[in-house]
Amino acid sequence: MKVVLIFDQGLAGAGGKSNPNVGLTAVKGGIGSSLMLEPHFEKIGAQVAATLYCGNEYFQNNEEEVVKKMTAMAKKVNPDFVLCGPCFNYPDYARMAAMISTSILENTDIKSCAMMSVENGDTIAAYKDKTPILKMPKKGGTGLNDSFADLCEFMKCSVEQSAELENVRNRVCY
Amino acid sequence: MMQKLEKILMPIANVLSRNKILIAIRDGFLVTVPITIVGSIFLLISNFPLEGFLNMMTSIFGEGWDVYLGRVSAIAFDCVALLGVLSIGYCYAREKGLENRIAGGVVAMVCFLIITPQKTFVELEGAAEAASFSGFQFTFLGTAGMFLAMLTAILSVEIYAWAIKKKLIIRLPDGVPPMVMESFASLIPSAIAMTIFFVVGIIFDHTSFEYVHYFIYKVLQTPLVGLGKLSGFEVIYQFLSTLFWFFGINGPAVTNTIFSPIHKVLTVENYEAAQAGLEMTNIFTAGFSDFFCNFGGGGSTLGLVIMMAFLGKSNRMKTLGRLSLPAGIFGINEPLIFGLPIVLNPLMAVPFIFAPVVNTIIGYVATVTGIMPITLGVQLPWTCPIIFSGFLVTGSVMGSVVQIVMLIVDILIYYPFFKLLDQRYMQEESAAGNETDELDDLSFDDLELD
Repeated sequence: MKVVLIFDQGLAGAGGKSNPNVGLTAVKGGIGSSLMLEPHFEKIGAQVAATLYCGNEYFQNNEEEVVKKMTAMAKKVNPDFVLCGPCFNYPDYARMAAMISTSILENTDIKSCAMMSVENGDTIAAYKDKTPILKMPKKGGTGLNDSFADLCEFMKCSVEQSAELENVRNRVCY
Repeated sequence: MMQKLEKILMPIANVLSRNKILIAIRDGFLVTVPITIVGSIFLLISNFPLEGFLNMMTSIFGEGWDVYLGRVSAIAFDCVALLGVLSIGYCYAREKGLENRIAGGVVAMVCFLIITPQKTFVELEGAAEAASFSGFQFTFLGTAGMFLAMLTAILSVEIYAWAIKKKLIIRLPDGVPPMVMESFASLIPSAIAMTIFFVVGIIFDHTSFEYVHYFIYKVLQTPLVGLGKLSGFEVIYQFLSTLFWFFGINGPAVTNTIFSPIHKVLTVENYEAAQAGLEMTNIFTAGFSDFFCNFGGGGSTLGLVIMMAFLGKSNRMKTLGRLSLPAGIFGINEPLIFGLPIVLNPLMAVPFIFAPVVNTIIGYVATVTGIMPITLGVQLPWTCPIIFSGFLVTGSVMGSVVQIVMLIVDILIYYPFFKLLDQRYMQEESAAGNETDELDDLSFDDLELD
C-alpha cells in the first residue's frame, strides 16, 4: 500500500512555532513524525511514498492555494491512501488536514482521512460528514499507540474496500 | 518489551491524569506558580548574590530597602497554603462541573480559615501570663498548612457540590438577576460546608493535637514530605516523567499530580529556614528539579540540539537542530519531540530517559559534597536559560559550572544515538538521490493544476 502523509511544519521536523511560514514542500518518503507511524504501517504492508507539508501561517494566508495544490500533488503521486494527520490538538493543522482530506475525497479517487484529538471540536463538527476523522489523544495524552493501530485497521479496510469498513469507521471515527 | 511496558504504564497514566482530585491539586498549585515566581524575584533582588549590587541598592535607597521587598515575597511564600486552598477549591469545582467555580474556591478558603487558629499567644518578658492578639499567623498559612489546605479544598468543595446536586438551594423567582440567583443558590451549600468545618475545628480543640493543622502536619505532611528528602526521590520523579513522554504521554502532567505538592513544600521550607537564619536542608526543591535535571526541555535535549545544529551531517538533522536551538535554550523542545521524533522512537529512548537521571545524580552529589551550594527556596520561570538559572537558584557561580558539566555529560550520553540517527537519515537522503523514479523530482513549483 502506497501512502502519502500531509503534515504541518512541526510534524515534518521543519521546526515548530519558529518556522510557521514555510511554503508548500514535497519530500520523497517519510520524514519527521513518519518514524512514529512506520512500525504500524509495516504491519499492513504500507510504505510512505511522499510527505507533503507547509507551515501553519502559510496555510492561514493561502488556504485555497494550499488545499488545491496538496490535492493536485496527491493526484500526481497517486497513492492508495492519504493520511492528513496525526494533528493531535493543534487547531490550525487540524483544520488544514480536514479541508485537504475533504478535497482529496471530492476531487480524486484516492482514499483519505484526517486524524485529530477531540479538542478540535469545531473542525470535527464542520467536517466529520465530509471526510472520515479518526480519533486520537491530544499532545501528551494517553493512547497514542492504540490510535495508530486503529488508523492502520481503517486504512487497510478502506483500501481493500472491506465489508468491515462501516463497523471500523463507526468505532474509530468521530 | 516496549508493548508490555506501555500496557503497565497506560492504566497508571490514565488513573493519575484523569483523577479529578489529583488534577485539581496539580492545577491548583500551577495557579500559584506565577505568584511564587514574582515573590522569588523580589526575594532574589533583596538577597542578590553579589555584594556590589546590594551596596549599590543601599546607596540609592538607604538602609532597610530590602524590608519593603519582603512584603511581596512573604505573601508568595508565607501564605502559600492560603493561596493553594483557594486555587485548588476553584479547580476542584471546575472538575466537579460546578457552574459557579469561584464560589467553590471561596468556600474552600473560608473553611480553611475557620479551622485555622485565629488567636496568637506571645510570651512577654516579666508578664505572668502570655499576651494574646487576634489574627492569623503565617505559620499556619504557609508550608505547615499545605496538606491541610489540599484536604480542606477537596472536602469542602465535595460537600458544597453534594448540596448543589441534592438541590439544597434557595430558589428565587424568575426575573431575579443571574448574579443574585447564583449568590443565593450558594447560601445553603456554603452553610453546610462551613458548619461541618466549624465542628471539626472544635473537635480538634479538645484533642492533644489542639489544632487540625498539627494533626495533618504530623500524620500526613511530615511522612509524605519525608519521602522528598530521600536521595532516590528526584531520580524516580525524573525517570518516570521521561518514561511517560517516550510513549507520547505528557510525563510531568502525570507525575506532578503526586510530586508537585512535595516539591512545593521542600522549596518553601528552604525559604523559611533561610528567613529564620537556619541552615537550608532540602536538596530536591523546585529550583533543583527545574534547573539541574533537564536542559532544553524534558529528556534534557539541549545537548542533542546543539549537536544536531553544529555536528549534524544529514539535512534533516541540521535543519531541525538550527530551528530548534533558540527554543531549546529556553527549555522548549516540542519541535524535537514530534519532529525528530522522540516519541515512540526506540533509538532515542535510552538517552532521553537516562540523561535527566544522570543529571540528577550529578546535581545531588555536587550538593552533598559542597561543590555547589544547596538550591535556595526560590522559584524561577522554568524557561530561565542554563548558566543564568544555575547562578540565580544557588546564589553561586558554581551552580553555573555544575550545569555546564551536566550539559557536556548530556552531549556524551546522546552522542552515539545522535550519530546512529544522523547516519540513518543521511542514508535515506542519499538513497532518495540515487534512485530514479517519478517521485525524485517532486516539487510544487512545476505542479500542473487542472
